[in-house]
Amino acid sequence: MLLELNNIYKWVQSGGQKIFLLKDINLKVEEGEFISIMGPSGSGKSTLLNIIGMLDVFNEGEYNFLDEPVHSLKEKHRSNLYKQYIGFVFQAYHLLDELTVYENLEMPLLYKKYSSSERKALVADMLDKFNIVGKQNLFPSQLSGGQQQLVGIARALISSPKLILADEPTGNLNSKQGEEIMEIFKELNKDGVTIVQVTHSEKNATYGSRTINLLDGRKI
Amino acid sequence: MYNLYLKIASRFLLKNKLYSFINIMGLSVGIASFVLIMMYVANERNYDKFNGSENVYRVYMDYLEGNTFSPGDAQSYNLSGPTLKKEFPEIKEYVRFFHLQKTTFINENEVFEGNKGAIVDPSFFSVFDYPLVKGDVKDALAAPNSIVLQENLAEKIFGKESPIGKTLSIFWKGETTVTVTGILKDIPKNTHIKNNFLVSFETLKTWKAIPRQYEPNWSQNNFFTYIKVNKNTDIDALQQKIIKTNFEDDLDERHNIESLESIHLNSNKPYEAEANGSESRVKFLLAIAFIILILSWLNYVNLATTKSLERAKEIGIRKVSGAQRPQLIFQSLLESVLINCIAIVIATIVVVFTLPFFNSYTGEDLIVNSAVVLGLLPYLGFIFLGTVLSGLYPAIILSGYSPVVALKGKVRASSNGLNIRKGLIITQFFATIVLLIGTIVVAKQIKFLENQPIGANLDHVVAFNWEVLSKSKDSVLKRDNKLFESELRKLPYVKNVVSAETYPGGGYDNLSSTVGITFPNGTVDENRIFYTYNVSPGYFNLLDMEFVAGSSFLETAKRSSNKIVINEKMAKHMQIANLAEAVDETVKFWGEDWVISGVIKDYHHFGLKTAIEPILIRHYEDKNNLLVKFDKSVTSVAGFGTVLKKVENIWDNAYAQNVFNYTFLDKEFQSQYNEDKNFGSAFLIFTVLAILIASMGLFGLTSYTVVQRRKEIGVRKVNGANIVNILATLNKDFVKWITLAFIVAVPISWFTMLKWLEGFAYRTAISWWVFAVAGCTALVIALLTVSWQSLKAALANPVDALKDE
Repeated sequence: MLLELNNIYKWVQSGGQKIFLLKDINLKVEEGEFISIMGPSGSGKSTLLNIIGMLDVFNEGEYNFLDEPVHSLKEKHRSNLYKQYIGFVFQAYHLLDELTVYENLEMPLLYKKYSSSERKALVADMLDKFNIVGKQNLFPSQLSGGQQQLVGIARALISSPKLILADEPTGNLNSKQGEEIMEIFKELNKDGVTIVQVTHSEKNATYGSRTINLLDGRKI
Repeated sequence: MYNLYLKIASRFLLKNKLYSFINIMGLSVGIASFVLIMMYVANERNYDKFNGSENVYRVYMDYLEGNTFSPGDAQSYNLSGPTLKKEFPEIKEYVRFFHLQKTTFINENEVFEGNKGAIVDPSFFSVFDYPLVKGDVKDALAAPNSIVLQENLAEKIFGKESPIGKTLSIFWKGETTVTVTGILKDIPKNTHIKNNFLVSFETLKTWKAIPRQYEPNWSQNNFFTYIKVNKNTDIDALQQKIIKTNFEDDLDERHNIESLESIHLNSNKPYEAEANGSESRVKFLLAIAFIILILSWLNYVNLATTKSLERAKEIGIRKVSGAQRPQLIFQSLLESVLINCIAIVIATIVVVFTLPFFNSYTGEDLIVNSAVVLGLLPYLGFIFLGTVLSGLYPAIILSGYSPVVALKGKVRASSNGLNIRKGLIITQFFATIVLLIGTIVVAKQIKFLENQPIGANLDHVVAFNWEVLSKSKDSVLKRDNKLFESELRKLPYVKNVVSAETYPGGGYDNLSSTVGITFPNGTVDENRIFYTYNVSPGYFNLLDMEFVAGSSFLETAKRSSNKIVINEKMAKHMQIANLAEAVDETVKFWGEDWVISGVIKDYHHFGLKTAIEPILIRHYEDKNNLLVKFDKSVTSVAGFGTVLKKVENIWDNAYAQNVFNYTFLDKEFQSQYNEDKNFGSAFLIFTVLAILIASMGLFGLTSYTVVQRRKEIGVRKVNGANIVNILATLNKDFVKWITLAFIVAVPISWFTMLKWLEGFAYRTAISWWVFAVAGCTALVIALLTVSWQSLKAALANPVDALKDE
């Protein structure tokens, strides 16, 4: 088992009242799964994804990742776990505007212990794999949305994470570009990468092996 | 990884050109000003430093005034040095300087004028560690009529050939011949006693123009005396011993000593070798330097923090990609180091290029060389440390953003952060207002000094002075003088011609003094110094000086008499209540009787920085200066230039070889305030820079608040607010902050400027409008800066702001 959420609650205080973002979420994810999280706006999809990605904290419950209790880990330990196993893909790509494609791909490696020759090799691999060798010296603003997302996915994959978390990865793309991106996710999943995506689209959800529906912070 | 950091930083800077420009310019201007002022200060503080200078002291005279002694004369007697050395074994050596101002040399019919030098003891080289390029320090100044020239003067006179052994005519109130025995390496310009030649002391014995100076005596105190003490001498004990010993059997004065190195900034006695600097001025400038540097740091903090909001997304992405806080802080610091390095490079270029202007402005001679750079290194380290520290705050803010929030673009700076920025702006404006008030007060004081009536009319009066380079006897010269005078009177525009030893604004040069005087009522005053000079009878009329009793001297065939004219202050000292009674009374000094022929209204002889002194003006036709009063139409009709040329022609016809100089009296009088004017303009320049920097900070902060309040502005506009309403909303806060800064600035600057004004005997009032002008200026500048941004926000289409969600 890759990860397990038990009775997760998350709330914020507003005017002396607790507003629940997540209520009693239980979820098990096995390695190699491709899960889609669906639900209307404000149902807590992104919050759940951020919690799985350790970007956000929860108020109650347990979270085990590869048998490590995330809820009781120290910040540093959690950060190491995260660095090693998780990659993120965003709806708005979130590439660094000041960096070229090549440098954007290299960036996450700088925060992990890779030698410069290793970094070179890994970036070259990714450029190759996603067929963007010719674009390596361009800046994000010089790419189309689909190409930017391609770079975004390549960046998420570069340190070979076990888990890819994608927050509406096709939300800013047209249908053709979106389809291409989903095909890539499917391929990755076939290669053994676990994927959890948040999506609004029924069609995209069908790429996954399982769908989780949320409403008002609850699983239904 | 560092490469990448630098890459990001440089691309960020290139992309945000306005931000980078403001930021880097702010820092460059701050650093450049700081470095310039520091160079100036270092130069001022390094006066008279050479190997062993810490053991050199100047002997000066204290005079008893009332019950206390106060410094009365920077010069001492020719017996002072030898006697002190004999009495106190701690004193290793002494050297005496008889100062020769405006000396002229003639070498093979070529004339070299305007040289400053001194007649010194052979021991000069064992007190002052100035090396000789040629000649031997042991005997260069031993023989009579020997001269040691400074390298640049030697080259001017003799060119490339070796001057050793050559003879030279030297003129100073009379002529003698000297032989060059040594070449002195050029002395650094930061010394309080600038000599470009030295004449041996033995020369005094035979130099007829300088009588009564050679023989040991306790009556001619015309010597600067310097002593060198043994290392580790208890200087306080020595000073006490010197103060307590009465060498010349005169209880009204005593000898005292002061450190050579301290003279330039701390000594302001009568008869100094030159007008010295001032410690308080140096401190003022130092304070300004630090204020500007701190302003530019605050500016940097402000701008970087403001900009960090825009960089929240980048931080979010980095965090998601695995960056940890220390790495992000480090990156941010690296950026501030980069910005600062660029700023330091630009500042260096600015310093190198503005130095000539700075020099001509301040009258200094600052240069950039390895020693200066080495001396500045600690300050550069300080600058660097400061900027790294100021980079830390934005770094911590920036790295603290939560990635989830940052990626959604919903970063809102905490109200705490905003308070810090407000604090920074208030501090900046506080400093700016203080500097503004300072500038206005300094300018007001200078204006006051210039416009204050001085009791004499110096307009269109020119003093001609010359050296007659001829071996003819004095009597012949005098007759020629008369001829020259009558020729001058024939010139158009010339209203009056009079000879005088000195004039208002002439300073202590050519001014004699006496301590010990018997008043008409028989009282003997030996407690204070009285100044006196020679004039011919027409002097008072020419300068429009007003008599309150009696009149000027009568013209006599002898051209001199025992008559004197005194000023009111002198009469007061003599306890003469009814000024008319002073006329025909007798005063005794210098062992002679002097009869008062008139009392003039008090006039300012020394400028308005000092109080009016009692003055005795003697009747003696001195050939030092010929004062010529021109008709005021001379400037409009003929022009001074042509008229002066005519005067020079007349003089040239009379004498083949001569040196001819002239001075405009009004200009020379005003030049007493030159240091203050320079200080005023330095104040102004640095105030403008400070305002510039503070405005940049404000500009940064506004762009930030405007972004923050975009939605608010949108909502207000949709609900009917017009542009004026929006501007008012946005600018209200800034008005509040500047008011706060103003309230704090007023008492502090009022107190500081009051202290500064204490340095003047006659001072302007710090009126309420000074504060009002400073406050309004700051406010107007701030509002203009702010409105640039606010207006943009107010004009924006609210739809753009609101559809963001």
